[in-house]
Amino acid sequence: MTKTDSPRTSGRRTASHAFIRLATGRPRLVYALILFTTLLTGALISQIRIDTDPENMLPATQSDRMFHNEVEERFALHDVIVVGIVNDDHPAGIYNPRSLSALHALSESILELDGVIGPDLMSLAVSDNITQEGPGTIRFEWLMRDAPTLDSEAESIREAVLRLPLLLDTLVSGDGKAAGIYVPIESKDLSYPLSREIRALADALDSGDQYHITGLPVAEDTFGHDMFVQMGVSAPLAGLMIFLLMLYFFRSVPLVVAPMLVAMATVIISMGLLIGFGFTVHIMSSMIPIFLMPIAVVDSVHIMSEFADSHRPGSDARDTVSKVVEHLFTPMLFTSLTSAVGFLSLLLTPIPPVQIFGAFVAFGILLAFVLTILLIPAYIVRMSPKALDRLARRSSTPRPETPLARGLRTAGRFAVRRGKLVAGFALLVVAVSVAGVTQIEINDNPVRWFKEQHPIRVADRVLNEHFAGTYDAFVVLSHRDETALPRFQREALEMLDGLAEPERTALAPYFEADATALGAYYGNLIAALDDALFDADDEQTATILEQLQLLAEQAQIEAKYFQRPDVLEHIETLQDALIASGDVGKTSALPDVVKVVNRELRGGGSDDYRVPQSTRGVAQTLLQYQSSHRPQDLWHMVTPDYSSTAIWLQLRSGDNQDMSRVMDALDRHLIEHPLPNDVELRWAGKTFINVVWQDAMVKGMLTSLLGAFAVVFLMMTTLFRSLRLGLLAMVPLSVTILGVYGLIGWIGKDYDMPIAVLSSLTLGLSVDFAIHFIERSRSLLRSTGSFEQAVTQVFEEPARAIARNAIVIAIGFTPLFFAPLVPYITVGAFMAAIMALSGLTTLFLLPALMALAGPWLFPGLRGAFDEPAPAAPDSLLNEAPS
Amino acid sequence: MMLKTLTCLGLLLAGAAYADVLTDADEIVQRSNLASYYAGADGRSEVRMIIRDAQGRQQRRQFTVLRRNVEAGGDQQFLVVFSQPSDVRNTTFLVHKHVDRDDDRWLYLPGLDLVKRISAGDKRTSFVGAHYFYEDVSGRRPTDDEHELLETDDEYYLLKHTPRDAGSVEFASYTTWIDRETFLPMKIEYLNTTGSAYRRVEVLEVTEIDGHPTVTLSRVDDLAGGGKTDMQFRHIRYDVGIPEAVFTERSLRNPPREHLERPTQ
Repeated sequence: MTKTDSPRTSGRRTASHAFIRLATGRPRLVYALILFTTLLTGALISQIRIDTDPENMLPATQSDRMFHNEVEERFALHDVIVVGIVNDDHPAGIYNPRSLSALHALSESILELDGVIGPDLMSLAVSDNITQEGPGTIRFEWLMRDAPTLDSEAESIREAVLRLPLLLDTLVSGDGKAAGIYVPIESKDLSYPLSREIRALADALDSGDQYHITGLPVAEDTFGHDMFVQMGVSAPLAGLMIFLLMLYFFRSVPLVVAPMLVAMATVIISMGLLIGFGFTVHIMSSMIPIFLMPIAVVDSVHIMSEFADSHRPGSDARDTVSKVVEHLFTPMLFTSLTSAVGFLSLLLTPIPPVQIFGAFVAFGILLAFVLTILLIPAYIVRMSPKALDRLARRSSTPRPETPLARGLRTAGRFAVRRGKLVAGFALLVVAVSVAGVTQIEINDNPVRWFKEQHPIRVADRVLNEHFAGTYDAFVVLSHRDETALPRFQREALEMLDGLAEPERTALAPYFEADATALGAYYGNLIAALDDALFDADDEQTATILEQLQLLAEQAQIEAKYFQRPDVLEHIETLQDALIASGDVGKTSALPDVVKVVNRELRGGGSDDYRVPQSTRGVAQTLLQYQSSHRPQDLWHMVTPDYSSTAIWLQLRSGDNQDMSRVMDALDRHLIEHPLPNDVELRWAGKTFINVVWQDAMVKGMLTSLLGAFAVVFLMMTTLFRSLRLGLLAMVPLSVTILGVYGLIGWIGKDYDMPIAVLSSLTLGLSVDFAIHFIERSRSLLRSTGSFEQAVTQVFEEPARAIARNAIVIAIGFTPLFFAPLVPYITVGAFMAAIMALSGLTTLFLLPALMALAGPWLFPGLRGAFDEPAPAAPDSLLNEAPS
Repeated sequence: MMLKTLTCLGLLLAGAAYADVLTDADEIVQRSNLASYYAGADGRSEVRMIIRDAQGRQQRRQFTVLRRNVEAGGDQQFLVVFSQPSDVRNTTFLVHKHVDRDDDRWLYLPGLDLVKRISAGDKRTSFVGAHYFYEDVSGRRPTDDEHELLETDDEYYLLKHTPRDAGSVEFASYTTWIDRETFLPMKIEYLNTTGSAYRRVEVLEVTEIDGHPTVTLSRVDDLAGGGKTDMQFRHIRYDVGIPEAVFTERSLRNPPREHLERPTQ
């Protein structure tokens, strides 16, 4: 690389010279510039906006998400906080005057809170009841207008609920031990403060019941809150841990302070820019500081470590640092570029928070590179000669006798002499890992981002034990007969031609009006005909108008598709199929309403719990349902024009796997029992949306990984200008990625969002080690002309730097184990595994492969491998370290 | 011309000055009740309701109301027969409203071929899905509330009404603006316990029919939920001589055609 510089390498060198000249020549300017940039971008952090909405895992224009939002509007659905009241002690469960009074009081207080959508609140205290009162008489009234004072009153509420399938297992559990209040809220952002207010209201009640508060918005908002705390606590803790470890390795405060400064500046500038650009801080981007910190430290450690090793007291620090930086410039540039590529590949995953995460980590890595080669030399130059001498004296001798140094020497010898064993073992690991990968379970559930004992997890568990489920999904059916309206308009306009003026001209606009809202279209049209009929003064006009009205009424009834009895019965079969899937706790839909009202109208006998036989019967049943305290409840199930209806599913689990099973079950049912052609079925609801983004992420991650793999391979081949070394450089990261995901498969950890992004991290970090190792090995092969000597020297400073980095990063993340949120714990745990695996594969497998295939890998340096066979393995193991 | 204007102005001023200014809240409410619900000895009217939800999606209802006063300010009888939408056509309500006891209510659903008696229960339920309550249509008993005259201006008596049985209603109080001339309540606002208005009933159009100032368009706004219902009254006639026999269970299955038919101009 010295004599045959290509224009590209010399260009790199010019760049490195410029950087070093600036850093060592104008250290104060460099300090000032970095400080200024850091303060400026740091100020932007105050603009932070937290986003915890899992919906944002999908782009705003993603079709399932758009449909989900449209469905929320179509059926006036809101985000809901679920309050669960559990009584395990009273023999009657929740049906005792004390518990019901508390529930009543709590409902009333919640209704007064700002941000609660009162009319849509669901609770026994605001539910309607329909009962028989003597023969031929029915009664509509509040189910529990006042809190009961007698056991008998509580008992009659129990009896009433048993007859109301819409309430049973939703507002009161089937076992009678738990009741729920569903609190719809105006905005998700309110769920955390509101849930705290509700908690305070519940705590003030002295009813002997347990209160649990959950619901997806609460989970999300609480997560956002905890995430904030997390960033303020765990990231600095990880920083502190890294600082202490480096202090242990280098035993010099000044030497360790410099990398920490680089890390801090990198984190602050990257986060400041992310926030400054107007991006929200999502669960993913909140991890950026934690990801950047170790990566930012790594390069500085290489420089500082080599500087400490090569600086001699009395010599010019400026010269030493220039040499060191020049020496490390290319490997550092390439490790930074490859790591950046690893994260940039996340842009191929169609999940916006993951893309932003990838882009800003990649930016941070490149920033860290620039900051390292500017700040570290400037820092060293600014150190007093005394401090420099102390650093050089204290830090190391060329062959330190620390346990790490000795261990690495032994490892190096072992890897070279037992190459086949090491390679064979690696193959075995790969085989076992591949088997593990095939067992990976893809699954996620935002509620599981909390730890087992978190109140939200507890509430989730308890409420889902009692109720039909706190997780929502909707099967939405829409009917659109594209031919019906044109047919009607054609017939009607023909008839209209028989009319004289001015009626004809006056009425025509009503027929040709915008028919997007069919309910309004027919309503307005029929009203206009009715008015015209009143004004009609001749027989012929009246006859035509009557015919037109009849035609319009017929078309109007036909357009109200989901009012047809046969269609309602079809919906019932869908509900049955969903329940039969085994994962659905309960479904609620229009037929349930119709059947209850029909039964009570007809005398209350269970034989009459069915859909009336005619459309008019259904319409009149629903007219009665609407004559209640809560007529608007109907529009959560069907649109006012009856062209679309929603089946509400309650699921006991929010796991994507469970939701997917339900979807598969319905798909199978639909293959055997297809829907009519003009009916469309689509899914909506938060639990469904989670499945969609999870699916997109798994597929996207594979693309990202393959893309990054290809680009990194190209870069390696370019860097080493050798296809063979390029392949060799890919070995450690391939083994590590397989190993980590194999481990995940074997231990049965679900493949979720944090696990998914680990692949890019692994790729980025593992390749760093390989680059340093191969680059240094090759240059030592060149300079020594002997593989034996090259390996011996590689296992001195270069191997120590790699090992130290691996250990610093792995242990630096241990504070994450104490995080309250599971994704952080996951990242912390797997970071250690990644570091261990990639460190080991680099330090064992690479030298082993070089020993086995040296001449093939380094065709220009064949001579270095023409040596006597290595000593017998037995003697190696007994040999004392020299 | 000038003289004419001055005369008109003078007359107007005189009218305002000499109109009786009532100061007794109960009397105002009594007269308002009569003006709103008891005009004529009987009456018929066709009602068209346009119910809009918060998103503006609409439903329509059309029905004919026949009314007969048993006694002015006292008991009344109503027959309500639906004509639109056609799937609820001939659904019929019969109400015998009583001032001293619960109303008697019957219901006929032709689609189910069913006559039911409805136990009074609660009168503050939606009237067939509209934002109007049953009680808005049949009239709330003046004796159910305590009335207080807050203010009298040139046009309105402003009254506050507090329920005697707070547990039986969803409001904490309501305020009415009663027209001093016609005694029609032109605006009613219902307040919750925190004192904010969550529901408003407004009269948008008054027409004099057969000598009775009559509401021909009114609107309820659901200020909390965002929906509203317009109620249009047309083809109104007073003192048409509807026999008591019309207001019996017999009419449920056999609508009295001759009385339901739209009067000719």
